[in-house]
Amino acid sequence: MADKLAFRPRTIRFSIASSVERRYRTTAVLFVLPALVLLLAITIYPLIRTLSLTVMAQELTVSPDAEYVGLQNFQKVLADGRFWNAMQNTSFLVVVGVAIQLVAGTGLALLLSEIGRSRSVWVSLFLIPVMIAPVVAGFQFRVILNDSFGPLNYLIKWVSGGLISPPAWLADPKTALFSIMLTDLWQWTPFMLLIVLAGLQSISVELLEAAEVDGASYWQTFWRIKIPILLPVIIIGILIRLMDTFKTFDLVYLLTGGGPGSSTETIAYYTYLNGFKFFSMGYTAAMAFVQLVVIILVSRAFLAIQNRQQKVG
Amino acid sequence: MRRTRPAVRVMAGIILAAALVFFLFPVIWMFLTSFKTQAEVFASPPVFIPGQWNLNNYAGALLPPPNGSGGWAGIRDSLIVSLSTAVVSVAVGALAAYSLARYRVGGQQFSFWILSTRMFPPVASALPLFLIFKELKLLDTYEALIIANTIFNLPFAIWLLKGFIEDSPAELEEAALIDGSSIFGAFWRITLPLITPGLVVALLFSFIFTWNEFMFALLLTRKAVRPLTVIIPSLVGGHEILWGQIAAAGVIAIIPGTLLALFLQRYIVRGLTMGALKS
Repeated sequence: MADKLAFRPRTIRFSIASSVERRYRTTAVLFVLPALVLLLAITIYPLIRTLSLTVMAQELTVSPDAEYVGLQNFQKVLADGRFWNAMQNTSFLVVVGVAIQLVAGTGLALLLSEIGRSRSVWVSLFLIPVMIAPVVAGFQFRVILNDSFGPLNYLIKWVSGGLISPPAWLADPKTALFSIMLTDLWQWTPFMLLIVLAGLQSISVELLEAAEVDGASYWQTFWRIKIPILLPVIIIGILIRLMDTFKTFDLVYLLTGGGPGSSTETIAYYTYLNGFKFFSMGYTAAMAFVQLVVIILVSRAFLAIQNRQQKVG
Repeated sequence: MRRTRPAVRVMAGIILAAALVFFLFPVIWMFLTSFKTQAEVFASPPVFIPGQWNLNNYAGALLPPPNGSGGWAGIRDSLIVSLSTAVVSVAVGALAAYSLARYRVGGQQFSFWILSTRMFPPVASALPLFLIFKELKLLDTYEALIIANTIFNLPFAIWLLKGFIEDSPAELEEAALIDGSSIFGAFWRITLPLITPGLVVALLFSFIFTWNEFMFALLLTRKAVRPLTVIIPSLVGGHEILWGQIAAAGVIAIIPGTLLALFLQRYIVRGLTMGALKS
């Protein structure tokens, strides 16, 4: 597995005079500059701009003038029930949603690894949801989950012979967030399937045969051999999904608009509402800043794990 | 040879087929909906197979107003933005990736900083970006969308290409440099041809990510530029939702992604994990 992780540096080794080497290095720095400038434009610049906004109160719906308010915006964020509600909804999607994607994706990958030649056809078909725009996925689930003309509730009633009366998925505050999670599951479970399958295919057949000869049961092989080998792959998959689910915006915008009430507002969606619907600039900036802190903490964890894997590799 | 028992394989096949129905049903339903009349869409119990297979919804979605919803222009805008973003991301990304892979500019910390910008929540930079573009009078232009999308695709392009360059031998470039080639000459004539598959993967994925992107398309445009992902939600009109047209536009919108899933499976793992995993 170790050689599957992309770390096999092949740098240029110089056997020439150091003055020439220095000239090359200067050119190499120039190569990075355009990318550096662009990336600074989304990280450092917004950070500065955001920071200077966070200490201002600027309600564009009231007046274009900004007023200095110190740290009040941060206090407001931390005391805002709707903000914490959004955090809670986001956490639900991140924790429960990604966990289900992981388990279901791993299960399907294990099944696919038992199938012979036709595997790549299956994988191609499974992958279609991953490559679809969330806008399109969102609208399709709005149709499918619709209470009056959607096929899902019709099928539930038909299968149960009318015994179960299914909820109005998106209109009921109890099921709306779950419906968003379901759409996300639909789109991203195949992603987990794909990367776990890639990991499974890297396990040597000899190793599995040896285990079989030694009389290991399926589950022993699974827990003792496959899972430890798959772990680095699974961690990468979880982190990528974690990061992306934290940003969930499109599906909320399209499926529920945050409602009913604010039962499906995610943190990205609530930030959008404040900035682009309520036009509270300072407040939005403070909220964006809090998210940045969360993301920086998570990305630190990502780097730590990547670093450790590199050492193992 | 390790063999799976036939009974197990049949069971696996059945479960997988059931799962596949779940994952393909929404796509199939969308395809069917794209041919239904408004009455068929709203029928209860639902109509599964449309009564007539005509292209009215497609015409409605694609024709310019007042006859339709302007989908053609949306496809054009999406293509312009996605193609430009892909080319710029890969051009800027390849240069940076080369420098990082071969010369370790800025060391590993710098590489990881670039990776970490991928985790940046777009909504957190949406407001500052919006304000910059407003000051530069770039709102509602192709440039604004191309710049915003390029920035968010760059970490992906850099890391993916960095992996491809690290996998290719450096000896040829060393020889070229000793023979007096400039760095750019070595990069252009030797490295780029070596990593052609990587460039293709980076281009295709940057294209798809931008094609599918919604938030910037929504926030940075008004009337002049309207990518397909913005046209589709606009079909939710004031008094009625044109489900047939939405489905028709959706079918068109998923063509590039579906082609990628069907024909480029070999590189999808690498593309989706920014080169962290290869298969």
